[in-house]
Amino acid sequence: MRNFSYYLRLSLHNIKRAPLPYALTLVILSIGLGVFFSNATLYYWMNRDPLPEQSHTLFFPRINAVEQACDSCLTPLRVLSYKDVQKLSNSAIPSAQAGMFQSGGYARLPNTQNGPTPVSIRVTQRDFFELFNAPFLHGQTWADNDARMELILHYNAALKFFGRTDVLGQQLLLDGELYTIVGVLDNWQMLPKLYDVNNGLAITPVEEIYLPWETAYNLGIKSNSTTQSRDSRNYNENFAVNGREGEFYQAQFWVKLDTPAQQDAYRQFMDNLVASEKEAGRHPRPNGNLLHNMLDIAEAFNERNRQLDAFAVVSVLFLLVCLFNASHLSLNRYMASQFEFSLRRALGASRLQLQGQLLTDVLVNGVLAFVLALLFAVLMLLLINQLLPATSALNNWQPGLILLMFGVALLASYLVTLYPAWRASYSPLNQQLKA
Amino acid sequence: MIHITQLNKVFRTELIETQALHNINLSVAEGEFVALTGPSGSGKSTLLNILGTLESYDSGDYQLDGQSVTGMTDSALSALRNEKIGFIFQSFNLIKDFSIYDNIELPLRYRGFSAAERKQRVEQALERVGLAGRRSYLPGQLSGGQQQRVAIARALAGSPRILLADEPTGNLDSLMARQVMELLEQLNREGCTILMVTHDPEQARRAGRHVQIVDGMLSDATVYQPLVAQAVNQ
Repeated sequence: MRNFSYYLRLSLHNIKRAPLPYALTLVILSIGLGVFFSNATLYYWMNRDPLPEQSHTLFFPRINAVEQACDSCLTPLRVLSYKDVQKLSNSAIPSAQAGMFQSGGYARLPNTQNGPTPVSIRVTQRDFFELFNAPFLHGQTWADNDARMELILHYNAALKFFGRTDVLGQQLLLDGELYTIVGVLDNWQMLPKLYDVNNGLAITPVEEIYLPWETAYNLGIKSNSTTQSRDSRNYNENFAVNGREGEFYQAQFWVKLDTPAQQDAYRQFMDNLVASEKEAGRHPRPNGNLLHNMLDIAEAFNERNRQLDAFAVVSVLFLLVCLFNASHLSLNRYMASQFEFSLRRALGASRLQLQGQLLTDVLVNGVLAFVLALLFAVLMLLLINQLLPATSALNNWQPGLILLMFGVALLASYLVTLYPAWRASYSPLNQQLKA
Repeated sequence: MIHITQLNKVFRTELIETQALHNINLSVAEGEFVALTGPSGSGKSTLLNILGTLESYDSGDYQLDGQSVTGMTDSALSALRNEKIGFIFQSFNLIKDFSIYDNIELPLRYRGFSAAERKQRVEQALERVGLAGRRSYLPGQLSGGQQQRVAIARALAGSPRILLADEPTGNLDSLMARQVMELLEQLNREGCTILMVTHDPEQARRAGRHVQIVDGMLSDATVYQPLVAQAVNQ
């Protein structure tokens, strides 16, 4: 510790000796790290496991149930019909399961003059909240999957409409229909939002209002993202019947399969389902059953953000260029200090002791570069959020991420210092000390 | 104190080999003041660097204070330099933006002394070279002679077994050179072993023994002939 405080004083002294070259080295290193940090932040959020405790048990089943024959159509649609959800829901194997889709609407408090406010809606079933660990602050999920004029609000929506969260039993007008609030979620988010990766929705916030599945079909509420109709029905009329009976595909369906045995059993159930459908003269297309784990869903739907992947490659290359340049500047600094290295060695400092000094330099450089790089990273994130608005939910840092970035800053500082310092400390002593 | 036998040093480049030192044999006893002279390029600085373990040698043996230097690790050599050798360089080799105190303290930092012991040793060394009042000065604020005295204080602070001085007055005017030589003589009288490289015959005569090196070989005529005895003969 005594040596460390001496080394620390020497490091700061060395900075004061040539502040401008040092500042230039630091800025170059920090810009490289800042760009890298900003991209790493986005990359971290996009690729993290949002539910590490149970993501391995969550699966999205797909069946190739479109009713037009097509022998070469081997891959199921990425959305399911009401009938698909009904058929898949008949299994007792999952410990939880829910059909769902995203929608939107306008909501306002009844008996007020306030105008309606646009809201995001998730139409879903009672197990949704168990599937994705959405915690309730007040109330609970619906008693069953039947139609009911009952809503569950997100924490933010409760505050938005009522200014408070304890609003059980209160009413809300949604697209002209009056609903009673039976639950309020805590301030919950899921990033990335892997339960709905259609149209790149994986990085949007969770929905503000949760509406029962059967109620939505009764009221003709449809998805506002991916929908497909494969027959000639008019889905703008009598959706309660057409939406349920027709070939209108808009839903996601998630099941919770806790063990590998359950997963195998569910695959068998899907195969049996298709076989029995074929026997009944339905399901004319080939068996294309798929069962995607939650962590594979973005890749399966080809919804990975390729722009971010490209940014990641560019930012790593940019960091390498910055490291190279900073290392070159650092080499000049250390070569200028070569006399002092040699003198210290001549007066009895071992290479190990000089390494202690250099590692302290690395630490000082790493800390300064880290702080400056965070500033650059904030600026870069703001810029990226402007260019790619969908990334705006991904710009905050968790302690683990900050620790990781600090580690990268130290490593970068070490790389920038390593070669120059090695050159300086291994020069012949007698040459430097001769007049 | 110093005992070297059959010591050889060759400088190699891609094109030529230069035999810098050839079968050198030299002993320096404790308390001696030895002057090493020779023309430019004769190998005297190379020999001094080897004695100071700043440079390696190709063959032969070198024993310092009864300890063979041959085959020592880098950290052992560093400790040896730090504990047993005090260096005085022609160009002083002080760190310009360190205070006099910090310069003298520098080798003590690597010795593991406590802060109190370092302070005591630096103060004593400054007293010894007559610069007690200048501890907070920067080297640039002192004359050349004073800077060399600071360098001598730095060499003395660690209580070395031997002082190796490489033309310690080479950058000084005659008055300052005389003062530095007087200081070295005084240190020698107090029991300090000194080996000094010099060009100056006058200074060589003031040493207790004069050893000459020519073309990498010690001259037999002058080896082991104390100048005091020479003076009596003359």
